[in-house]
Amino acid sequence: MNLTLLGINHRTAPVEVREKMNIPEARLAEAVSDLVHRAGIREGMILSTCNRVEVVTSADDEVDAEPIIRRFLADHHHCDLTQFAHFFYRLRQQDVVRHLFRVASSLDSMILGEPQILGQMKQAYAAARLAGGLSGTLNEVVNQALGVARRVRRETALGSAAVSVSYAAVELAKKIFGNLDGKTIFVVGAGKMSELAAKHLLRSGASTILVSNRTYERAVELAAVFQGTPVRFEELFDHLGQADIVISSTGAPHTIIGKNQVEKILAARRNHPVFFVDIAVPRDVDPAVNELDNAFVYDIDDLEHVVEANKKQREHEAVRAEEIIQTEVHKTMNRLASHEVVPTIVALEERLNRIRASEMEHYQGRLGSLTPEQRQAVEALTRGIMNKILHGPITELKNGVGEPEHVTLVRLIHKIFGLGD
Amino acid sequence: MHDACVWTALVFYGLGILLIVPSVKRRRPSLTPASLGALGLGLLAHAGALAAEAARMHRLPVTDVRSALSFYAFLVTLAFFFVYLRYRIVSLGLFMLPLVFLLTLISVLHPGGSFDSSAFRGGWLLVHISSIFLGYTALFLTFVAALMYLIQEHELKSKQPRGFYYRLPSLEVCDEIHYRSLLLGLPLLSLGILTGFVWASRTWKGPWELDPKILASLVTWVIYLVLFSTRVSGGWRGRRAAYIAIFGFGAILVTFMGISLLSGQHGYFPKLGEMP
Repeated sequence: MNLTLLGINHRTAPVEVREKMNIPEARLAEAVSDLVHRAGIREGMILSTCNRVEVVTSADDEVDAEPIIRRFLADHHHCDLTQFAHFFYRLRQQDVVRHLFRVASSLDSMILGEPQILGQMKQAYAAARLAGGLSGTLNEVVNQALGVARRVRRETALGSAAVSVSYAAVELAKKIFGNLDGKTIFVVGAGKMSELAAKHLLRSGASTILVSNRTYERAVELAAVFQGTPVRFEELFDHLGQADIVISSTGAPHTIIGKNQVEKILAARRNHPVFFVDIAVPRDVDPAVNELDNAFVYDIDDLEHVVEANKKQREHEAVRAEEIIQTEVHKTMNRLASHEVVPTIVALEERLNRIRASEMEHYQGRLGSLTPEQRQAVEALTRGIMNKILHGPITELKNGVGEPEHVTLVRLIHKIFGLGD
Repeated sequence: MHDACVWTALVFYGLGILLIVPSVKRRRPSLTPASLGALGLGLLAHAGALAAEAARMHRLPVTDVRSALSFYAFLVTLAFFFVYLRYRIVSLGLFMLPLVFLLTLISVLHPGGSFDSSAFRGGWLLVHISSIFLGYTALFLTFVAALMYLIQEHELKSKQPRGFYYRLPSLEVCDEIHYRSLLLGLPLLSLGILTGFVWASRTWKGPWELDPKILASLVTWVIYLVLFSTRVSGGWRGRRAAYIAIFGFGAILVTFMGISLLSGQHGYFPKLGEMP
């Protein structure tokens, strides 16, 4: 096993460097093919997103893959890499495994727990496979990384809470209404933010949308975008009762929706809950409305608070995710280790067994005729000696995997016991 | 046999509850097979205990405090499984099952005041007891849903999401469980009370109408009727409805536990055996 990763990410390199090193998805397979055809490289994969460019390889045992990867990047981008050298980080062996697990699980992302990275990793994996870049150890590690990411997603809440204001509004709406299917949204006052929130709500299942604005033309325009119904501003309160979720962002200098009006609306709605998302400054909805049973008001600061709380939740969950990764790295390393040493162990056992068999045969005549019990005893004796001799080397082989001197150890064992390659 | 089964059930219930805690803490989307398995085994052992008791007494084993509590605990666990399978609310276990554990524990520690009475073999009485118990189970669910609603509503109104915000279901789901369990519990309670009246008027001598437990049952029934009718006629939901549901379950506790000690006819005391 000889894994190497060379990369830059949003923490180590500015965007100018990242975009320079970026390898577009369409050219990924071709690039991997170029990489793995270089001498000494067995497998390779390239992960290239807007936040990171990482090249990971599995190379022949004695090969140092780092200069090869550097040369590959320089060739690919037709530039001198030395000027960027200090932006790159280089990882080896177990650190590569841990890094890939963390990246896939979105623990290394700019926004902790964001879901896109897993898809990007899958794309990188598919492209590398297509180019014939994954066939052995690295293939297993990347596959494992995708599995670990799914486990982290399943067992922690790392990616579950909304970390942007408009998603926080959707999340709150879901906490009130459960399912948003068939819910009606009323957008009061057109603006970028309310448009975004409305879009998220529609995508989450809300079906009807009403739009009102001081200038009716703008309302008509926005309603057309969402295939909704425009409402004249003067008729606002005639239609407000239909809405389950009101997104308000007018430029009014004072509140336009007061406690009394909402009380009336609630009575007309037979107390079906209504959720006001007030993103206007100064505010459109009287904060006292929140005191009413079945009415919920969140202004822009409240939404920011929710986002902050959610971010803290994610950081909290990240600790648990790191624990999962720790155990998974350990498991994977052990498995890779046993793969590695199996051929040597088998060869060693065969060699000693051959010696034993030939010596047994040699002494057959001198031992004379043995009773079956005696024959068994001799068998057991020789086998016992053999196993005792084997115990030391096998333990050393299994324990030392992944360490730098392991290659030397394997070679030494081959030499001492005369195992042919 | 019976005691061994109840102890086994108790141990599995305890284990099941302990196993739910990390699932809630870690906000898993569903319960682990281990906790469901433990609760399922508890339920099975409990069913075994009830069956053994029923076989021994040749009737529904609900005639003394001990077995009544045990039977109720069994029904609540069963209800938990139904609701969990339908809604997949992990935290529900922590709201419903501690009661199960407590009731089972009391029933196992309570000295068995078992007594026999031919009175308990009547058909009317069987309907009376089973519908009351089923009704109480459904209304416990109404209570739990109301409690979850109030906590979640408080989280949302306070605008400071804490632990419960992430772990409790939406207000809509709480309200749905609340209303559905009420729609099930109220008719059962009514049927139970009605059959009780019929049976009492046929069997008991003297002014049975003044039995404290019967009066308390009527009060409880009225509370739930108010909860139901305000919902249907005035669309009362949310906080107000939740308060009534919690109040109503308080009345059930008083009826079920408190008054049993005072009541002559429902006293779970051996003197009931003296009844004709």
